[in-house]
Parts: sequence; structure tokens; C-alpha cells
Amino acid sequence: MKPELVSLILNAVQELGEHNGVPLPTALDGDTPLFGRDGLLDSLGLVTLVVAVEQAIEDELGVSVSLADERALSQRASPYRTVGALADYAGSLIRAAA
Amino acid sequence: MHIDFLLDGFRANHTKDAVVWREQVVSYGWLADAVDRWGRSLADAAPGTVVSLEGDFSPNAIALLLALVERGCIVVPLTSSVEMKKPEFRAIAQVEAIVSVSADDQARPAHTAARPSHELFTRLRSAQHPGLVLFSSGSTGKSKAAVHDFVPLLEKFKVPRHALRTLTFLLFDHIGGVNTLLYVLSNAGCIVTVQDRSPEVVCAAIEKYRVQLLPTSPTFINLLLASEAYKDHDLSSLELVTYGTEVMPESTLTRFRQLFPGIRLLQTYGLSEVGILRSQSRSSDSLWVKVGGEGFETRVVDGMLQIRAQSAMLGYLNAPSPFTPDGWFPTGDAVEVDGEYLRILGRPSEIINVGGEKVYPAEVESVLLCMEGVKDVTVSAEANPITGQIVAVKVSLSTGETLPEFRRRMRIFCRDRLSGFKIPQKVLIVDEKMHGERFKKMRRAS
Repeated sequence: MKPELVSLILNAVQELGEHNGVPLPTALDGDTPLFGRDGLLDSLGLVTLVVAVEQAIEDELGVSVSLADERALSQRASPYRTVGALADYAGSLIRAAA
Repeated sequence: MHIDFLLDGFRANHTKDAVVWREQVVSYGWLADAVDRWGRSLADAAPGTVVSLEGDFSPNAIALLLALVERGCIVVPLTSSVEMKKPEFRAIAQVEAIVSVSADDQARPAHTAARPSHELFTRLRSAQHPGLVLFSSGSTGKSKAAVHDFVPLLEKFKVPRHALRTLTFLLFDHIGGVNTLLYVLSNAGCIVTVQDRSPEVVCAAIEKYRVQLLPTSPTFINLLLASEAYKDHDLSSLELVTYGTEVMPESTLTRFRQLFPGIRLLQTYGLSEVGILRSQSRSSDSLWVKVGGEGFETRVVDGMLQIRAQSAMLGYLNAPSPFTPDGWFPTGDAVEVDGEYLRILGRPSEIINVGGEKVYPAEVESVLLCMEGVKDVTVSAEANPITGQIVAVKVSLSTGETLPEFRRRMRIFCRDRLSGFKIPQKVLIVDEKMHGERFKKMRRAS
């Protein structure tokens, strides 16, 4: 599941880069930092990305998950550090919902 | 005695058309007789009786309203738009007698066990003045019952003005509807009633009865433009469209001006609590207005509009007095000021706070309404733990786009028109209508 989620998130990052004027590095992968140290996004970009990823998961996988709630913010390691971390967090919620 | 000036006018214009109702036209002579007739059958009702008048604009409902005022009663108009809430509203208003006017204009009286004791009613009774109880629409919360003394309310209609053939779009139990009615009747104009307030029916009535004035709301103007109902009807009689009750999206104003360059647009500003202020737009394509007029004063305190009015209500039946100690009514509307002109921004309670940045829903709605295929939009706040709130939008589309397709197009469209934090982060495509019976947007969560 993880590669699928990584590519879904990367698509959302690409779209955000194109339409919201966020400058993106040439290579994007699971290690790309999103928010926090060296992160690509400010808080507004993060919110927009998270909502877009939630909607994409719902559209493509038919599962409704909330990636921005108290639980996400209280994780010991932020699920928003990198693309991979967000994919891991989303994956754990999807498994729990199944 | 309270409405002598109206009845004198009715007699003097007895052959003129007063009301168009269901293809029938009644004259001022008929209306004067009907007021007399109802007055005689109300002879048993003590002045000060609280009477709910349940119906819509129809010849007998109008005559009954005037007869009840003349009798010194306290009138509580209720329309079918509040059907579900009628028992609650009657209880709040301590209604003693119910007069319902059916769809075919037959009136039936009934009594209740209520014995009105509210202090505001006592005040009206001791002054021997008729009263009016109006419920606010409650689009942002609970409906409040405003009690008016009918005597100062009638005062401004004693000044003769020019009356136009007017469509009663605003409701019979709404301050705007009552104002339209009294204005037209006091100047021997003609009221054109509609049974249905859809763009199609309204346009057909304008064409058929050569309506000159349409008092309406920005939401209806949007629906009119989106439905294109105006293409099937001749609206050339229309001279003036007034709009009030909510913030006008700039885009709607611009599109209306392009389509109807010959129609004058006028923003009105009125509230159940203070009545309708006369207003003057800087120009037809401007959202800047001068509000006030005789009997009204305005001031801006901390960016918020306050009004002092001779015709202000006495108070609420079901809420504490909102007036400041020196008698000003805080409207709750944030305004910008430019000399003597104001621009109404909206309710701070509707402001969306995105990580400390403020977003007025009306501004975002205005931009989205410029997009091809967008029929209607409602922008509201949604809680989000990252930024506190985010901007969410419900949109109804005529394009059949999928959500990702529309979202992409929306982001591109908004990029040069809105700051990033104002671009909706969450989008929902819906099929339902987004306004209540009063054609005001319902932003509150349902």
C-alpha cells in the first residue's frame, strides 16, 4: 500500500506546486520534507495538501480518513515531516478503518 | 384613526389598481371597503389584542392587516415560510387570536388560551397604540421577536412619494415586505403578488403586469442570472431593483449591470429591529452606500455600524434589549467608511479565521460566482486543528465536472484573484438549494 500512497501524495504535492505557486525541488520522493525543518510547505500549504490527500484517498480508495486532527498532531513523530511519514500515517489509518 | 391618511388616499384613488392577486385586480375602492368591513367584524376585539395574521400578500390579508392596526391590535404576521415554527412563534408572541387567510383568500378566526402579559405589550396598551411583532430570520441563530409600536412605523409613510408598480417579493412577515406594502399603499401604487418566488414566476409576473420595481435579495439576483429566466421574458418595464438583507457579491453586481444597463440598482439597508433605512448607492455599480434619512442616525463604533431610529422596535419578546444605554442599536455588521459612504462587509461572526488571517465569506463567494458554470456557492468556516479554521465551499455546478476537475480549475481561477489563504481548501459539490424561504444564504451548519 505504501508506494501507492506515496505516489498519491506526490501527485497532490505536484498539483499544489503548479496551482498554488509552491516552489518544488526537481526530484520528489518519499524522503521529500513537507513541513517543519527544510519543509516545502507553510501551514496553509500543509492544510491544503492534507485536505487534498484526504479527498484523493476517498476518491481512489473509497476510505474516509482524517489526516488532520488532534491525534495526528499528538503523534510523537509528526506525520507531516516527509511524504513517506504522511504515507505511513495515512496507511495506518486506512488499515484501522478496514 | 391610526390609518386615516391611508384610507383617505384609498378613497381619493378608488378606481386605481391596488393589488394584483392570482390574475385578479382589486381597486383602492375595494380595499377601502374591505378594511371597513373587517373593522366592523373586529368590533368585539379589544384594542391591544395580540392577533397572529397567517397568510401571504392577498387582498383580504392586506385589508385585515390594516383593519387590525386601525383597531389598535398587536399584529403578528406569519407566513408559510415559517410553517414548522408557527406553534413556537405563537407561544413566544403570546398570541390570543389567530386569523388565518387561506390560499383562496378566505379568512378564519380562532382563539387561544393565551393571556398576554409581556411588559412591552403592556406599554403598547397603555399608550393605546397598535403594535407589530416580527421574527428575525435566524439565519445566524435563534429567531428573535421584535416588538414595534405601529404609530412611529407609519409616520414616514405620511410623506408623499412616487409609487411604482411593485412586485411583493419580500415576505408578508418580514420588515422588508411590510415596508414595501405600506410604501406602495400610501402612494396609491400597485402591488403585484406572486404565489411562488422562483425566477421563472417572478419574470413572468414582471412581464405580464409591467412591474417597475422589484425589491429583492442578492441571492435572488444570482438565481435570476444563473437560471437565465430573463431570456424568456420581456423585463423592459423594470426600472428599479432594490436589494438588501445580505452582502451583495461584487461579481453579481457587475454581471447584472452588463445585462441590464437600463435598470437602476439600489441597495437598501433594513433590519427587523429598526426598520428600513433610505439609502443611496454611490452609483449603480457601486457597493458604497449612504444610509440614513429622516428619523435615522448612523455611527460606526470599532468598525461596526450602529443605528438610532425613531421607528426602532421597543425591544425583543424573547431576548434582552440590544440597545446601548444611549439608545443605539448595534447592527452586528462590520463596515468600511469612506466619507459619508459605507460599504457593508458582513457579520464578524461569519468571518473565517485561517491561521490568524481573516476571510469574509462574501468576498470568496463573489470570486467563485465569476467562474463559468458555477450556479451558486456558500462559503463557510470548517474547524481544522492546524490553522484553527479553513475555508470550505459548497458549490452547485452546471458543468458536470468531477470534484478533482473542478478543484483544479478553481485553484487556477482564484490564483490571481484571491490571497492564498482565501482560496477554499475544502470543496464539496452539492445539488441542493442554498437559501431559505427568504432568499438569504444559510451559512449556519445544519
